Amino acid sequence: MGSLPNLETPPQISRISTVVPATPRGEENSAYNLNYMDLLMKLHYIRSIYLFNSKAVQNLSISDLKAPMFQLLDSYSHVSGRVRISESGRPFIKCNDAGVRIAESHCEKTLREWLDEKEYSVDELVYDHVLGPDLAFSPLVFVKFTFFKCGGLSVGLSWAHILGDAFSARNFITKWSHTLAGQAPPKSLHMPNLTKPQFLSNSVYDNPISIKRATTIEEYWLAATDSYVATHTFHITSKQLHHLLTTSTSTNININTKTKYFEIISAMIWKCIGQIRGNFGPRVVTICTTNISNRAENEFPTNGSVLSKIETSLSPGESEISELVKLIAEKKMNENHGLEKMMEEGEGKDDFIVYGAKLTFVDLEEGNFYGVKINGQKPILANCDFRGVGDQGVVLVLSGPEDYNGNNGRMVTISLPGKELDQLKCKLSFSCKLQPWNFLRESEQRGDTTTATTITTTSTTVSVTMATTNIATTTTFVLR
Amino acid sequence: MPPILPDFSSSVKLKYVKLGYQYLVNHIITLTLIPIMIGVSIELIRLGPNEILNLWNSLNLNLVQILCSSFLVIFIATVYFMSKPRTIYLVDYACFKPPVTCRVPFATFMEHSRLILKNNPKSVEFQMRILERSGLGEETCLPPSIHYIPPKPTMESARGEAELVIFSAMDSLFEKTGLKPKDIDILIVNCSLFSPTPSLSAMVINKYKLRSNIRSFNLSGMGCSAGLISIDLARDLLQVHPNSNAVVVSTEIITPNYYQGNERAMLLPNCLFRMGGAAIMLSNRTTEKRRAKYRLVHVVRTHKGGDDKAYKCVFEEEDKEGKVGISLQKDLMAIAGEALKSNITTMGPLVLPASEQLLFLITLIGRKIFNPKWKPYIPDFKQAFEHFCIHAGGRAVIDELQKNLQLSTEHVEASRMTLHRFGNTSSSSLWYELNYIESKGRMKKGDRVWQIAFGSGFKCNSAVWKCNRSIKTPIDGPWTDCIDRYPVHIPEIVKL
Repeated sequence: MGSLPNLETPPQISRISTVVPATPRGEENSAYNLNYMDLLMKLHYIRSIYLFNSKAVQNLSISDLKAPMFQLLDSYSHVSGRVRISESGRPFIKCNDAGVRIAESHCEKTLREWLDEKEYSVDELVYDHVLGPDLAFSPLVFVKFTFFKCGGLSVGLSWAHILGDAFSARNFITKWSHTLAGQAPPKSLHMPNLTKPQFLSNSVYDNPISIKRATTIEEYWLAATDSYVATHTFHITSKQLHHLLTTSTSTNININTKTKYFEIISAMIWKCIGQIRGNFGPRVVTICTTNISNRAENEFPTNGSVLSKIETSLSPGESEISELVKLIAEKKMNENHGLEKMMEEGEGKDDFIVYGAKLTFVDLEEGNFYGVKINGQKPILANCDFRGVGDQGVVLVLSGPEDYNGNNGRMVTISLPGKELDQLKCKLSFSCKLQPWNFLRESEQRGDTTTATTITTTSTTVSVTMATTNIATTTTFVLR
Repeated sequence: MPPILPDFSSSVKLKYVKLGYQYLVNHIITLTLIPIMIGVSIELIRLGPNEILNLWNSLNLNLVQILCSSFLVIFIATVYFMSKPRTIYLVDYACFKPPVTCRVPFATFMEHSRLILKNNPKSVEFQMRILERSGLGEETCLPPSIHYIPPKPTMESARGEAELVIFSAMDSLFEKTGLKPKDIDILIVNCSLFSPTPSLSAMVINKYKLRSNIRSFNLSGMGCSAGLISIDLARDLLQVHPNSNAVVVSTEIITPNYYQGNERAMLLPNCLFRMGGAAIMLSNRTTEKRRAKYRLVHVVRTHKGGDDKAYKCVFEEEDKEGKVGISLQKDLMAIAGEALKSNITTMGPLVLPASEQLLFLITLIGRKIFNPKWKPYIPDFKQAFEHFCIHAGGRAVIDELQKNLQLSTEHVEASRMTLHRFGNTSSSSLWYELNYIESKGRMKKGDRVWQIAFGSGFKCNSAVWKCNRSIKTPIDGPWTDCIDRYPVHIPEIVKL
């Protein structure tokens, strides 16, 4: 993840063009100032994909897909701008209408073949995009449309974190899909309400530890890492979540669609990583949530993250999941004030990384990634990862696709150094080849019925076997 | 020997002298006739009606002589009216407004250039400098296939652009004039650099199902002045065919002509040429007289192709790598100036008022006979025309003409603002400029307009129109949504 993009020969043959705002900015709107949180995140990039099947796409052409963006970019003035460095050395964005880059490519595989081969990976469905070496001419957003042989479409967004957080990136694509559907784009976007951080006693004012100074690779806005960081997405179905909840915590909790699983999933992964790393298991982690209530769609892109640290004397590999859940829920310390102070002291000129400076858990459960609709159809898959993260690792928790019961599972996208990721995969032992949710949806359409669901539990493993008239699938997850 | 006109023209007294002189010379016929008429009427009144009757009877005119004289008068009158050229009316015209999906702001153009020419930073620098000084704005448009990095011009996309531009303009024209496709008798399409088979005029005939006995022409390769050449052709045809409508379509198709190499002399057109097109309806029917906007007065065409330097100054050729582009020589402005002088020399006597012509004649004689050191007198064309439409070929062209013809800022405003909003749309730019003047509400009945266009060859063509009826704002056209923002101040160098 710390490698430079291959600029000489693109991996897939894509046609590249640019989309600009429909009306010119005018001189008075030209400079957009970046606040401390924007500048903290400048070396990170958010990448998300939305996969639609042919029923949703219905032969939309590339010009149909590009046309709504012109109107949309009128409200997102700084998204089409470019980074400039002011005389004091502080970066800002010049709203010069340079625009958003679009890549179009055609894939020889069908959507199913692609998913079978690549699973949930974001890699080739988004353009390999970083800012630099000419910052003044680097687009901040890159959208890639991949057309599959079966008529399916992938919309891949690469969004520079300096513009806004993952919710803002998702809002951008959602608004695009609305404009595509024929709704008029918003005249202007309002600044979101930043709720005051509630627990002032839990705030850290000095020496925040959630960030680390970074060295960039050459002239690019990308941090160098000591080891190669890889990413993998695990899909946890709602049944598995339910099991996790009941077996790990002592209380009986009513499960409904609003239940947040972030804490328990984070605790589980923390424990696993603690076991992998042994004595060097992370006693300090960063939790990233949002401090803006109700991320509405018509809000201006913003970095509204709350970065909190958790310091513990316990060894995470040996603790119970419920103890870790309690730590995450109650003992996190908000570092935003400290971060602001540190950033402003450096006058915004320093380079930091946030994700991966310490093991970071990012809560994107509320991000309604499946709200992006084309022709009224939801995507069959949506995923998100970060590029440019540090080698302590990042865990993203997003909501998963709907299964045949209407419940959402969770997708957990984990970025770790390669060796650790392989060990984690073994530990978690999710069966990756068959995707039960996908298969179940199609089997339901075929009219199959589920004949048996058996759940067997031993002291170390939980197996869930679902059988339909044609085939049985088993997923096992192992806890030690 | 002192020159006829003293040099201190800032004196107020001199201004009145000048005005008096102009009035005297321009109305010399009226001023000589009036005393004669007064003299005759006084004489007649003095004679009294009886005397006049006696005078008449003494002439001894018999019937044959009266009949012959009246036949002679009628004969001369008939010959006069028959040989008078038909009046050509411009009923209305429509300009193509590019969609927002084709917009190219400066920053985007520069970025694309940097990416396409990344092996030639010098060429990128050069393009940057041209763009900064070009006078173009942030809303000019390029066709969709040029938005790609690198551009992917195909025959299909070129046809697509042609269809978009020409059909939009024609639909708009039909709507404005109520013209039915079946009523078009003459069709002329001019597009210099894209000439497919079947021709663009055949494409129009196919789309609108025009009549099979239509007289259609397709002019290609004639450069940016081809619009006025088409008007001239239409005029000649309308002299021959009575009661006819002619439609002229002027456009330039950018898609196949975007230069993809890095030779500096050939990069200039990329920076300036933009999408645009216009459709014009001309007619010689007397029924159109009431609603026609303009009447065509003169068309003057000047061709300097006989001079080798003029011939080579805008030349399409292959560069060292085999990429085709249009090469512009450094002496382009000088040659344009020469061509303009030629054109003015022919145009002057047709349009200038007698006072200016007399002054010019006297200075000319004086220079030839008395003293060659006298400054040549540049006639004041502002007295002949109310509005000027100078082809928006580039900022340098407009500056040069403003200097040569001594025009004020307001006179060249239409040209500069068209260059800013639409770029150099080649042969159709004159129509965008005319539309600007109308949109600003400055066109009144009786106003004379001078359209000047330059083109490869090297040609300088001009047309003179007279406004037939006052045109009320707001008018429907490409300037509708932005006319209130204009005029804008265009800085010498734009900061990118």
